Amino acid sequence: MERTIWQRSQLLSLSHLSPSPWLLQLLLRNGGFVTFLLVEIGCFAIMVNFETRHKEIWANTTGIFGGRALEKRQMASDYFSLYETADSLAHIVDSLQARLSNARQVQVSIRDTFFLVNYDSLAKTDSVRRKTIRPQYEFITAKSIKNSIAGTNNWLIINRGSKDGIQADMAVVSPEGIVGIVRHVGTNFSLVMSVLHLQSKISVALPNQKNAFGSLTWEGGNPNEMTLRYIPQHFVVQDQEPVVTSGYSLMFPQGHPVGKVKGSPKPDPENPYFLEITVILSQDMATVRDVAVVKNLFKAELDSLQLKISNNER
Amino acid sequence: MNGSNITPNIIRFIGLVAVQVLLLNQMTNTVGEYFNVLLYPLFILFLPLHLPTPYLVLLGFAIGISVDASIATWGVHASAGAFSGFMRSIAFWPFAPKGGFSAKDPIFAPAHVGWQTFLQGTALFMAFHILWFFTFSYFAPVFGWDILKKTVASWGFTMIFVPLYVAMFNPKK
Repeated sequence: MERTIWQRSQLLSLSHLSPSPWLLQLLLRNGGFVTFLLVEIGCFAIMVNFETRHKEIWANTTGIFGGRALEKRQMASDYFSLYETADSLAHIVDSLQARLSNARQVQVSIRDTFFLVNYDSLAKTDSVRRKTIRPQYEFITAKSIKNSIAGTNNWLIINRGSKDGIQADMAVVSPEGIVGIVRHVGTNFSLVMSVLHLQSKISVALPNQKNAFGSLTWEGGNPNEMTLRYIPQHFVVQDQEPVVTSGYSLMFPQGHPVGKVKGSPKPDPENPYFLEITVILSQDMATVRDVAVVKNLFKAELDSLQLKISNNER
Repeated sequence: MNGSNITPNIIRFIGLVAVQVLLLNQMTNTVGEYFNVLLYPLFILFLPLHLPTPYLVLLGFAIGISVDASIATWGVHASAGAFSGFMRSIAFWPFAPKGGFSAKDPIFAPAHVGWQTFLQGTALFMAFHILWFFTFSYFAPVFGWDILKKTVASWGFTMIFVPLYVAMFNPKK
């Protein structure tokens, strides 16, 4: 069978390679494609180095792709450091929340004026110009690792315990609203009585009604709604009015969001001098994840005072 | 390539570079931007059929860079020349006889393969070359429509000049 010209030329070219330079040998042995590829790379380099238009287009393109690549690398790097970022942000939230609550606690008006000053309301000296801020609350961030909302008495477990400074009867809040009260503390974990518990009773206020305060309870059923009682009848409470913590419970700081009034209040059938108000919780209890445990720094002192009140009343 | 067919190729190389630079590129400048006749690829086209692809690529690069050097279009013609060298066997393949070209066909010219086969093979070969040339000339996909228009126009004009060249010089080796 007669060989084609091409086949013969390939054999001839390979049999006479010894005098050729090694690079040419390499190119011939690896076929036309490698040669083509190397030559094209060379041409490309010539174009982008010597042709002004090509140089500009190339610089622009590599700039765009280089920028995108850097952006992706940064995103990947950010992703892997998310845990540290979240931890750091949680501490910032702690500190800001504490500052906010403490600031609320001590902001009072100068007598007979509308001006507000930072006033240490617990100080013995009665000076309206006193500007010392004495912190009352600390916030310890935590994550809910177990939660229930379907029962009549619901509980949560958080990943902080006595090792982290958690004690019984501390309030648990989230940025959106209230979550519950710590009841049992382990070394590393704590059991939190959810606001969706028949025994939960939280002192809340209506800021649009001169901070009229009442008691918020859950009566089972809808996990998004609680009942507010002991707001006197003469208050004209509107639909969608905000409800916040009153600060009278010693556990929850004053002014923390709780929810909104739903519909028009009705007279309380058990006590017609007061209203029965349905409150929609601002924190959806089905999605609670990141929470903060509120530590009242004067709790021991306040508790001992409360005890004296109780003893006197006996 | 043996000694007897090196000389015609060297002459073709010099002649085609000269015609391309001194005549055809000047005509483009005078007539208009769509009048792009690229005849220098005929040097690659008329290289011996048995020449291995790496040589075709290197010789294509050589004639391309010569044109580039003369008209200061660094690398564009060289790239297209190398590409044509690589694609030549692919362009000729559909028109090759069964079993490939034989020793009776030293080059792809009408004198050996006939006018019809020659024009068909050349048309495909030139289309590859011109499309690559304008793609790298514009160097950005955003000019896709311009690349296509110029490729079609240039290919049309070039395919008018190719038979004229062959009729004038009737290359046989």
